[in-house]
Amino acid sequence: MRILLHEIRKILNWKILLILAFVNVILYFFLIEFDIKHFPNGRPALDSYRIGVEMIENYGTNMDAAELAGFKKKYDQEVRKADQFLQAREDFKEAGILSYADFQRMDHENEAESDLRGKLFFDEKVDLFWELQERERLIEFHNDKETILQNEMEGATPNQQKRLNEIKATGQYDLYPDEAFYNFQSIIRSIAITILISVVLLVSPLFIRDRARQMIDLQYTAKIGRPLYKKKVAAGLISTLLVISVLLAVYLSLFSLNHTSMFFKIPINSFIARMGGYYWYDLTFFQYIVLTIIAIYGLGIIMGLISMAVSNIVPNFITLIGVQVPIVFGLLAFGLHYMLNQIVSIWLPQWLVPVCYATLLAVSIAFIFLLWRREKKIDMV
Amino acid sequence: MKIILLECKKAVMSPIILALLLLFTAWNIFQIYDHSKLKEGLDVANELAKKYGVTFSDESLAKLEEDLKAELADLNAITEKIDSRTFESAFDFFNQLKFEDQERYSKNELHSFYETYVKEMYADMATSMDADYASFDMKRMGEDEISRFGLTGAAAETLRKEYAQFADRFEALQANNEHKQWFFAGKQYGMHSLLFRTMFRSIVIETMILVVLATAFITNYEFENRTQLVTYATRRGRRFMLDKLVASLIATSGITIFLLVVTLSTYFSFFDYSHLWKTAISSGFNWEFNFPYVSWWNLSFLNYLVLGILLFYVCMLLFSAFTFALSVLIKNSYFTFILFAGIFIMLFIVQSFLPTSSNVMLMAGFNLSTLVLNPHQWWMGSSGLTMFKYHELLTVGAWAVIFAILCVLALKKFAKQDIS
Repeated sequence: MRILLHEIRKILNWKILLILAFVNVILYFFLIEFDIKHFPNGRPALDSYRIGVEMIENYGTNMDAAELAGFKKKYDQEVRKADQFLQAREDFKEAGILSYADFQRMDHENEAESDLRGKLFFDEKVDLFWELQERERLIEFHNDKETILQNEMEGATPNQQKRLNEIKATGQYDLYPDEAFYNFQSIIRSIAITILISVVLLVSPLFIRDRARQMIDLQYTAKIGRPLYKKKVAAGLISTLLVISVLLAVYLSLFSLNHTSMFFKIPINSFIARMGGYYWYDLTFFQYIVLTIIAIYGLGIIMGLISMAVSNIVPNFITLIGVQVPIVFGLLAFGLHYMLNQIVSIWLPQWLVPVCYATLLAVSIAFIFLLWRREKKIDMV
Repeated sequence: MKIILLECKKAVMSPIILALLLLFTAWNIFQIYDHSKLKEGLDVANELAKKYGVTFSDESLAKLEEDLKAELADLNAITEKIDSRTFESAFDFFNQLKFEDQERYSKNELHSFYETYVKEMYADMATSMDADYASFDMKRMGEDEISRFGLTGAAAETLRKEYAQFADRFEALQANNEHKQWFFAGKQYGMHSLLFRTMFRSIVIETMILVVLATAFITNYEFENRTQLVTYATRRGRRFMLDKLVASLIATSGITIFLLVVTLSTYFSFFDYSHLWKTAISSGFNWEFNFPYVSWWNLSFLNYLVLGILLFYVCMLLFSAFTFALSVLIKNSYFTFILFAGIFIMLFIVQSFLPTSSNVMLMAGFNLSTLVLNPHQWWMGSSGLTMFKYHELLTVGAWAVIFAILCVLALKKFAKQDIS
């Protein structure tokens, strides 16, 4: 136990912690900050977010036919407000625009009319008109949702079709604005990148550090010697989990600054599927967040184990980094897309992501285990 | 000399650097192959340049129109036989062609129709080139940039002056017909982006990783293998570190040249530029987004490529020198690599932390990270906050001085340091 603690202290030494802090600050500003500082990112994202909040207040987390009709009614009310707004304006009266219907018919090519339109949207930033556009977009989704789903059905495998039919039967899809959801998708990816890089930096020197200082000769001639391998791996895993937890706590509390918690109860299939997003499971947004957090722990453990294994076999620091560059790059550039963002996406076979996790975990554990067998017999020179 | 070569060998012959070098090369070749699949009609630009000369004029365009009429007659002869219809242009033909009707024409016929169609597109673009260029208002573009980045005060003034200067260049360009030269149509094929953004950026990042690894390896070798007490106690002693610097620079050159030569020769064997080497890089066809690529000087494609290669090479030497200084001070390759990566990204984002009213913010754009990550905008006057005429030279010059001083300081410190 005492040795384990000492090993952990060796891993979490002040130099590494300093480097981790430095790397995290830089990666925070490089990757993560944008999704916090710029949420909602301009217009109509802002309006989309506000309408979403309003919809949850009024209709709760699922919408029946009456509530959909209510949403349309609300739109009509807003249109009347816009009519009044336009009628009260001299400049629009002069241009012959007396109602929102006229406003919509305005000619984009005509310079005078597009200037007038731009004035309303970009100079005065009238909320009402921005919101009307967003409402129209949502109503369009509500009206077309069956066609959208039907189109998705065409290229689908039987399994996917079955799932799409299930979703269709519930009717709870393509309903709510997806700003909050896509913001999370984007930020969690950046957070995962930052955390995985931190894990790799942390545990990579695990074995090589002792070897470079020629400690192995000393350690392994003692009775407690070779089993140190297991203690080191355990220490590496504990430090990995510790660092993941701390970083997740920090970054998720920063994420909470975005105020998207009202969306947490919405099923992810109910967000409008701007990018063809339907999902294998009926998770709520909150459950989805929990799932991605578990995924990050899983990926962190896989990365940690691989780094430790690499650390055990390579002769020097340069090889240590060199071997990890393609592994880390491959995982971050390609792996994260499938194993984090698309984790329950219907467009991946249902078995693919679990099999990926299982395989990677099995391989990395087998790797560590084989190295332990080697460690038991290896010559000390 | 021998000692330097032996030092080089340490890095270049180390299995990991060789393995990464081959892996990166394979990745580059795969990327090129992947892009080369969907480039139908790409060769038309070559054909046009060959037949009508690199620069086009009203006469050569008239001749092109004439030739197009002949090609259209051929097209109509075939379609009349198969479909009993004729068309005003190849564009009309493809506009009405349904997927299931494609089988009625042979592959060769469709291919030649498509070439005609692409030529029509080039001819259209060429005819409207002057008008398109005349509609640009440099002053307004400058103001747009200024408001896009939210610049005020001195910074805004500086950029305004720069845009005024760029307006002169843009006028000169129109006067000497630099924009009226055949090149791959940018919006359709994006060849400038493919070569200078995708490929060059890949090579830059890959080479940088290898250069940092190799330099750190050479420099820290003695400390990591516990031979420092022997090596630095010899007669050559601590001056040996200087040999290591030279060896690092030589290794850097080797790696850079290898990656460049293999990647570029693959690229140019997949994509034919044979008649376009002399086309100006500021050609009106080299226009992918809102504004064409316009360089500060009248450079042909070949000149541009050579200048790009030189700039890239110098940057890599600078990175090697910087890694060397870091290694000498830290004596640990692991931390050297992390620190290098950290500082590299830090320089890249530092600009966004500075007040948008001061010239310091613009000066922060003169850093190597921003420079090497935007190879498609080297020597270009249309690159936002880094559009200064001598941006590349000033950046490289300034950082060469900084790194030289850093290296000297590191060596001086090392000369007296405790090395146990």
